[in-house]
Amino acid sequence: MPNRPTGRKRTLAERTYLLPVLRDLARTGAHLVRTVARPEARVTVEYPEVEKPMSPRFKGAHRLLLRDDGGPRCVACMCCAMVCPAKCITIVAREDPEDPQEKVPVRFEIDLLRCIFCGYCVEACPKDAIRMDTGIFELNAFARQDLVHGMAYLTNLAKDARAEAAVFHRQHPEAAPPGFLPDEPLPVDPEILARPRRRVPPVTRE
Amino acid sequence: MNRVTCTIDGQTVTVPEGTALIEAARALGIEIPHFCYHPHLPVAGNCRMCVVEIQGSPKLEIACNTAAREGMAVRTDTEAVRAARRANMEFLLANHPLDCPICDQSGECLLQEYWDAHARHASRLRDPKVTKGKRIDLGDDLVLDQERCIACTRCVRFSETVTRTGDLVLLGRSDHQRIGPATGARITHAYQGCLAEICPVGALTSRSFRFRKRVWWLEEVDSICPGCATGCNVRVCVQDDTVHRILARRNDAVNRSWACDEGRGLYRELAAPERPLLGRVAGRPAAREEALAAAAARLGSARRPGLVLGGQATCEALLALVRLHERALPAARLFHVPGPDPGRRAWSDGILVHADKDPDTRGVRLLATCAGGVEDGEALARALADEALDLLLVLEDDALGRLGIPAAPGVVALAFHGHRSAAAAEVLVPVAGCWEQDGTYVNAAGRVQRLHRAVRPAGEAVPAYVALHRLGALLGVDLGCSTSEAAAGALAETISGFPREVGPEGVVLPPPLDGGTP
Repeated sequence: MPNRPTGRKRTLAERTYLLPVLRDLARTGAHLVRTVARPEARVTVEYPEVEKPMSPRFKGAHRLLLRDDGGPRCVACMCCAMVCPAKCITIVAREDPEDPQEKVPVRFEIDLLRCIFCGYCVEACPKDAIRMDTGIFELNAFARQDLVHGMAYLTNLAKDARAEAAVFHRQHPEAAPPGFLPDEPLPVDPEILARPRRRVPPVTRE
Repeated sequence: MNRVTCTIDGQTVTVPEGTALIEAARALGIEIPHFCYHPHLPVAGNCRMCVVEIQGSPKLEIACNTAAREGMAVRTDTEAVRAARRANMEFLLANHPLDCPICDQSGECLLQEYWDAHARHASRLRDPKVTKGKRIDLGDDLVLDQERCIACTRCVRFSETVTRTGDLVLLGRSDHQRIGPATGARITHAYQGCLAEICPVGALTSRSFRFRKRVWWLEEVDSICPGCATGCNVRVCVQDDTVHRILARRNDAVNRSWACDEGRGLYRELAAPERPLLGRVAGRPAAREEALAAAAARLGSARRPGLVLGGQATCEALLALVRLHERALPAARLFHVPGPDPGRRAWSDGILVHADKDPDTRGVRLLATCAGGVEDGEALARALADEALDLLLVLEDDALGRLGIPAAPGVVALAFHGHRSAAAAEVLVPVAGCWEQDGTYVNAAGRVQRLHRAVRPAGEAVPAYVALHRLGALLGVDLGCSTSEAAAGALAETISGFPREVGPEGVVLPPPLDGGTP
């Protein structure tokens, strides 16, 4: 007979399908009761209202770190651009007579549309200037250019919603609020930075 | 000269008596590591990196200051040699700031290469590193970082023996030893690029190249400097179809290992704002083909045309013009106006810089002989004043500027520079610059040297011989100069004795072509 790979004859219970259906309904019901009774045991989250905790090693969108004096840590050594397998990093260096570190990047762009999030740039950086620890994985934009992150965006922490708005407003100046200066470093509101991200407690599976 | 035979690492080599072991080894393809030794500078023997073991010698000897002797048995790779190199590298790197991320030398730094090949040690220094001057403004094109310096004194010896200015000295002692300007004044000589180039570490860097590119991205194309009649051999460093710097290329018969700053800066002409990138007909921008058609129409109807052979044009372009004269415009008069273009100073220094600022004046003379002679600038000025010419085709040079004539009617210019003749031209065809084309120059000493294309011609420009070949085609004649190979072959055919293959070092013209010096 076809459909009998084991060659074994089906039992009556199996042929009626009733018992397996009831058994699986019971399992589903048990899950329902358990998650209503103990919400913290749920394995799903109501994304995007609730975000799952990210592993600290998760490689999200990049950011550029600043020195204590406020200048960029990056010295434009081009190691990240060199090692990048996707060739998504563009750096233009310049000598800065004011800056204590001689060489600074005037342009630092990461094309996230090309980036494959391998993290080699973080590995290669001799100055710990670039990290992928923002936890940001929601990379979407209205225009392609908005996903090419420049110096201002990268140094101002992509966690800031206003930075994201500013990127949009650079592309669409007609929609920008009055007083918006496209070339100014993006504003970072300390309040926004201090605001805790909504998190569900870590899932513990039995 | 007597020759001696010695053995290096088991291989036998015969060299002239007095040859240093380091050069004898190089002849065998064995590279002995060294910082202070330079083939064109006096031997200092202070870096101690080139030590080798010589059979019968109780101690290690430096290969740069030991002459090869008959029967000498040298080993460059024994345990004693390796230990000495390791220890030497540890001393050299003890106080090194390790700022490779911001150092321009990174990627072509001998400290990096030799650490990797011979040392691979970690720092054992517990005391704070000695700090010295950084970012010292040493000249218009020179920045000094004393911390990176290993006191090899190549720059000091260069200043003493090549430029003879003696403006760099070694100051202080021990780990406070550093390079500095002798009188405290900035360096003003015309060979600052050489100092940056011979520095084996990142102590002397070139301001014009500083932080522009990492060197490992640059591709090097061997070519010739078009700055003067010396015809220095250079390496053109290119990335993304852009020339980023010019380095000297060793040619002991022409420029040794040097190149002047003026020549090193000539890559900026490729992107000069006044450079014509489009053709022009009667004051209106035109595509190249349109400009060529206009030029052909004017040449075809001209009754008394004049053609100017330019000393900045390649031999191929000059040949194309001479053939155009022979085959399509037999009534034309040929001129050559010796240089320099307005804005360039006809200076020379007895080191490399030649007073003749045209790289191919000898080529003009060769082709002029072929064409049965040319008239000089005075004759051209007279002809223009008498209105004896109804059309003047100018190949590359600024003939009008050189004669001090503001404008002339009916000028057709094939121009790379945005000079006066190009500005005054009724028809302008943009042509490629020296590093945008393959071609041949003959330098003042009669050495035939080949250019190699490093970047694509900008805008609508094409090599001048291609433009002239097309012009010939429009006038109904085949000049046989459509490609560089065809043009170079045509040169060898037309001028008997002109070398077909010249190799990287060039070939001196054989007699009787070599006669006469300018």
